[in-house]
Amino acid sequence: MLLNDPGAAHWPVDPARRDLVEEFRRKPRGPHSDELQKLLHRMRWSGVGQRHVLIVLEPNRRWMLGRLPGRRGAPVETFPNRVFTSLADAEWAVFVMRWEALTGQRIEETGDKPE
Amino acid sequence: MTDTTAVLGYAWPLVVSPGEEVAFHLSSAILESAEATLLRVRCADPDPDGPGLRFHQPGTPIDGPVPLRNQPLRPGSCALVPDAPALGRAGSLSLGLFFYPTAPGAGAQTILSRWREDTREGWRLALTEEARLELTIGAAGCVWSVTAPRPVMEREWIFVAAGLDASAGRITVTQESLDPQAGRDTGCTATAEGPRDPAWPADTALVIAAHALESGAAPRTGGHLDGKIDRPRLLSVAPDAARLRTLAENLTPHPADPDLIAAWDFSRDMSTDTVRDLSANRLDGALRQMPMRAATGANWDGRTVQWTEAPELYGAIHFHSDDMHDAGWTPDLRLTVPGDWRSGFYALRLRARQGQEDPVESFVAFFVRAPLGRPRSELAFVASTATFLAYANSALRLDQVHAESMLEGLIALSRDDVYLQEHRELGLSTYDTHSDGSGWCYSTAKRPILNMRPRGATFNYGNDTHIIDWFEQIGQDYDIIVDDDIHRHGAQTLAPYRCVITGSHPEYFSRSMIEAFDSYQRSGGRHIYLGGNGFYWRIGWHPTQPHTMEIRRGAIGLRTWEGEPGENALSFTGEPSGLWRASGRPPQRLVGVGFDAQVFTRSYPYAWREPARDPRVAWAMEGIDLDAPLGDFGLRGGGAAGLEVDRVEPTLSSPPHLLWLATADRLDYGGVPTLEELRTLHRGTMGDQNARVRADIAFFPTARGGAVFSTGSIAWACALSHNGYENSVSRLTGNILRRFLDPAPFEGFDT
Repeated sequence: MLLNDPGAAHWPVDPARRDLVEEFRRKPRGPHSDELQKLLHRMRWSGVGQRHVLIVLEPNRRWMLGRLPGRRGAPVETFPNRVFTSLADAEWAVFVMRWEALTGQRIEETGDKPE
Repeated sequence: MTDTTAVLGYAWPLVVSPGEEVAFHLSSAILESAEATLLRVRCADPDPDGPGLRFHQPGTPIDGPVPLRNQPLRPGSCALVPDAPALGRAGSLSLGLFFYPTAPGAGAQTILSRWREDTREGWRLALTEEARLELTIGAAGCVWSVTAPRPVMEREWIFVAAGLDASAGRITVTQESLDPQAGRDTGCTATAEGPRDPAWPADTALVIAAHALESGAAPRTGGHLDGKIDRPRLLSVAPDAARLRTLAENLTPHPADPDLIAAWDFSRDMSTDTVRDLSANRLDGALRQMPMRAATGANWDGRTVQWTEAPELYGAIHFHSDDMHDAGWTPDLRLTVPGDWRSGFYALRLRARQGQEDPVESFVAFFVRAPLGRPRSELAFVASTATFLAYANSALRLDQVHAESMLEGLIALSRDDVYLQEHRELGLSTYDTHSDGSGWCYSTAKRPILNMRPRGATFNYGNDTHIIDWFEQIGQDYDIIVDDDIHRHGAQTLAPYRCVITGSHPEYFSRSMIEAFDSYQRSGGRHIYLGGNGFYWRIGWHPTQPHTMEIRRGAIGLRTWEGEPGENALSFTGEPSGLWRASGRPPQRLVGVGFDAQVFTRSYPYAWREPARDPRVAWAMEGIDLDAPLGDFGLRGGGAAGLEVDRVEPTLSSPPHLLWLATADRLDYGGVPTLEELRTLHRGTMGDQNARVRADIAFFPTARGGAVFSTGSIAWACALSHNGYENSVSRLTGNILRRFLDPAPFEGFDT
């Protein structure tokens, strides 16, 4: 059987590369530099822990943060107090969580808003 | 947030002609009633940046309140053999079979049984939760069992023998590995006390790959198996593993063997739901929930990969505990479609809790066809029902590791997706894997399909309705014809039309469907293909059951699962499956362009090429600025070229006199070539470095005044409505359509 291995994405994340964080903060929807693409592949391939997703509240207008349970038939976990009105905001919010999970570093939610 | 799943249903048949009856099979676990409204669909995509949901309400007798009930879904496949005197024979009993477990340890699973769970009577060969073989016998209120000391191994063939010596009061289970070396030998045997001459239960079905929960010929079943069973044999003697093994190895056991109760041969009647018994007792059975046939048996040795060449090597059926192909729901509403109705995409809308915070709005889709030979328009639009079925209830984004990377951003789940995550009993799509990891190769419409209806996922069905919306906007009349009919009636379905349009993603084609389009185009027909990744996979339709398709994905192509070796021929037809490119009919030969890449980062405009200034196609370019980009807008990624894209490729049979009018060949790093485009491994294959990753627009005339126009992009359809439908994509599409409806031949081309 040909399977996708969730552990296969192994690009080493350097916690010192805050420039990649700032690049993503400026442009969550891309286009992205080569190294930011690699960081995003690392984050997106496995989801880092259980995969965060969006749940559409209003088509193309409002989304709620959710998390897949990693098991068929189990409910999607929802976060009703985390609602986004732009996909860029949502991408940034999940990036912040994944960066912390990968590096142990918190990102202060200050600075420029995403485009 | 609109609740789209509080009531679900399916329409049967999925496709009807005016004058025929359609029945709506509905279920709700929570609502007592809903307000039903029958609608013709103009646009099924709720995106407020586009046309939005748009319907026409014809008014029907079934509009109004409909009482609802809860109708459960019972997934899991098996074979049922109704009770027969030969099965109730007193005395000893033994069974032998080849077995290939695919999810051992995933729970208790029954392999072969004549067992009533409600009274715990009969006999049952099963896998325990610990993946050990176990024979259980129940009689007169007592239960005896014997368990093998070693667990079975996943995806390794074993031979299993088990049974009761009724005179000695002993039960035995034996397993023998077919490759007993290199750590794969799980061979063992176990014996325990059993009953002497037990009385077997009456009126109890023999079940293969599950057990009966109750008496009767068609009981509800439980303990469904994940795995393959090959050549099961039943004898009325005490278990003798060597004799049973010889009997199972023998492809043609002597029917008159007086000890032989049954010997099933699953290689017979491959395209049906019948399983044949070779014994003199004729204990034929019927399959339930369509397990996978044409599966390699324990004796498959690679001498062929086509079951038709050596069916005796394909005596296995792969059963799945989550197979779901017929919900079996009772209908709640019936409508005879009035004879004067237009063909179209139709849906029953069910509403409840209106005005509340969580209003219910759920749709059940069906199609009204233009009846064969009775066109009402010069234009037909094809409802790509084969593709809709292939994608029916796709859980790809829920289950597959690659989904977020492929889609280049966070996965956005609709309410339907959230429901599907919890409710796998709906049955998944041919993009998904069963719970045992094997691919879904069949899809049917006798179950609710969440992503083939208004408000559902926009891919395919929703995107295609943007084309219908555009017809309505420009006042263009049209007939709807469907894949099922193109398969069944061939070129006759297309022949009455001056022009036929295929939609955003007509991906799945049977041989009959491809030949119908080929014949149409050679006979002067005009074909407009407004999509991407079309005419790609080779499928089969069930020979007798409507709206039932099959795909075997094989080992090449953009496949979300890989077919197992030797299992890539269609059980419905015996034909090869896989890519049409591998069957000598690449899409480029039919429509000039063929799938080459995906691009989900964003979509792009096309740039016009020199052939667009060819005076022979000046009619196509009226009112269009050939120095400006074409389609730098659209609802899917902001461009008309995107998602899945096709290119002109002469080496794959793009026609010699094709005009390659425009290209979007700068798809940047998000342009990812399809797997079959790579001969060798090297870097530099993505769209930022690779000019063969692109979307192309092509035109070519065909024989007898026919012609083809192709856009090579899924995103095209969702650019039509931009700027109030006043835009270059809409204008070009309109110019092409107007000319294609004009019978005048295309001058200046070699014939």
